[in-house]
Amino acid sequence: MYRSEVKQIVPGPCSGEVVLVDSYISFFGEVNPEQGCLSTLENRCFRGKVLVFRGTRGSTVAPYIIYALRKSNAAPACIIVAEAEPMLIAGCVIAEIPLFVAGNYSELVKSIQAYSNSVYLVVKGAELLLYKRV
Amino acid sequence: MYLTREQEKMLRGEYGWSTAKAMEIIVKVGEALGAEELVEIVHAHISGVSYSTIGRYGAEFIREIILRGGKTRVFTTINPGCVDYSGFSGIIDNSLLDYQRLIDDPLREAGVKPVFTCIPYFYRTPLPGEHLAWGESSAVIFANSIYGGFTNREGGPVALAAALTGFTYNAGLHLLENRVGRVEIKVNARTLTMPIGALGLWVGEEVKAIPHIRGLRGVQLFDLKNMLASAAASGNHALIIIDEITPMGTFRLDLTEKVEPEISVLENYLGDNCAGSNILGYIGCPHTTPQELLLIARLVKRHGKPRRGKLLVTIPAEFTRIHRDLVLELRAMGVDIAAGTCPVVSRFKEKFDCILTNSGKALFYLRRVHGVKVKLAGVKEIVKQLSGVQK
Repeated sequence: MYRSEVKQIVPGPCSGEVVLVDSYISFFGEVNPEQGCLSTLENRCFRGKVLVFRGTRGSTVAPYIIYALRKSNAAPACIIVAEAEPMLIAGCVIAEIPLFVAGNYSELVKSIQAYSNSVYLVVKGAELLLYKRV
Repeated sequence: MYLTREQEKMLRGEYGWSTAKAMEIIVKVGEALGAEELVEIVHAHISGVSYSTIGRYGAEFIREIILRGGKTRVFTTINPGCVDYSGFSGIIDNSLLDYQRLIDDPLREAGVKPVFTCIPYFYRTPLPGEHLAWGESSAVIFANSIYGGFTNREGGPVALAAALTGFTYNAGLHLLENRVGRVEIKVNARTLTMPIGALGLWVGEEVKAIPHIRGLRGVQLFDLKNMLASAAASGNHALIIIDEITPMGTFRLDLTEKVEPEISVLENYLGDNCAGSNILGYIGCPHTTPQELLLIARLVKRHGKPRRGKLLVTIPAEFTRIHRDLVLELRAMGVDIAAGTCPVVSRFKEKFDCILTNSGKALFYLRRVHGVKVKLAGVKEIVKQLSGVQK
């Protein structure tokens, strides 16, 4: 089990299987809002899962795409990032998706990879817990 | 974050669901950016209102927050939509008109001034030091750099939330301590013989800190608009301090670096080779000012109607009324006019081989949005090339 700190940006429950995308995502153009999948990365889907990625880039339309994920029932259970910029925060607030900033993002990524990506993540207060799935 | 009693009431829902949701967006974004309080604004400008960019769900969000009781609490303007509101244009596709109304109608209902333009400063010019909450990167950088207004680059929902509450988070460029020029850019006179959009694209791509530009004395305001918009498109700039123009007291200088762009470097920003039989000339990104319309009319009169391609000019929606004679004169000379929209946020009826534009911002986005070749040229060069008459 791995344990570390997280900073809560948009409150809410956060637990589930992890989908790790260790890069910057542009929600406009790279995410299919109807399916909850990343078009650029082998169509990886994060619907109902914990989406972990570095941060967002690109267009100011991003908040509306995040909102679209919620409306089409394709939103992730919660999001954990290294950097939360205003577009992502605004998107998560309007879509009511819990958002957290990892205390030590690179260590979190290493731990997820060490468990061969088959991990279950739970956020309790200011603490993040990582379990290997069995 | 410290909130006043009124702001707390808004957040708790005492002013209704919409105001509470709007307040929540601002407080959350502000807290994440380390803001300690909110700041009262005098003007909100909402971007992200084109149906062709925000789509069905973006429209649904705007409808929900307004139809559940949202009303603007400050003077509020909006960005271009995805349709030509004059009905004059033969180039812009108006098939999304009914969908665009899903966004426009509630916004009008909420008390927004329906200017549909990216140059809101022509409707209410900011005073130095005034706090604003503007979306639309080209308007933000113009407000900060030319008028000394204080605004961050707000995304669509945040600017909307600021309009509904009258507040935004007090961080970033709302604080004088963050309005500090670090890199001095010296522009020499020879550089200014090139289309000025190239200079803007270069600044956006190559300079990351807040720049302080020297050497732009005598440059027309509409050229500065073009240069600033280009820098805001290719980079994340929201403020460029322009020597002798940016109002004193709205910035500080702590210059640690000095650069001077060479013509040979800027030539890399002039875009693609423009060839083909179906060429579109495009002027009006950001929207044209009345002076630019006069200039275009004079040039078309001198060099002749566009014969070797079409010429599209985009203007604020209201110009069809307040500058009616000029608009009709341009139309009579074969210029295609579209009001309240622009090709960045709309669709074309036909496919063009290449677009010739004076705007660095248009070059940056039209390549990405329409997948078309784009070349930069001065306004005079565009008109001359389309008329095909060498004088």
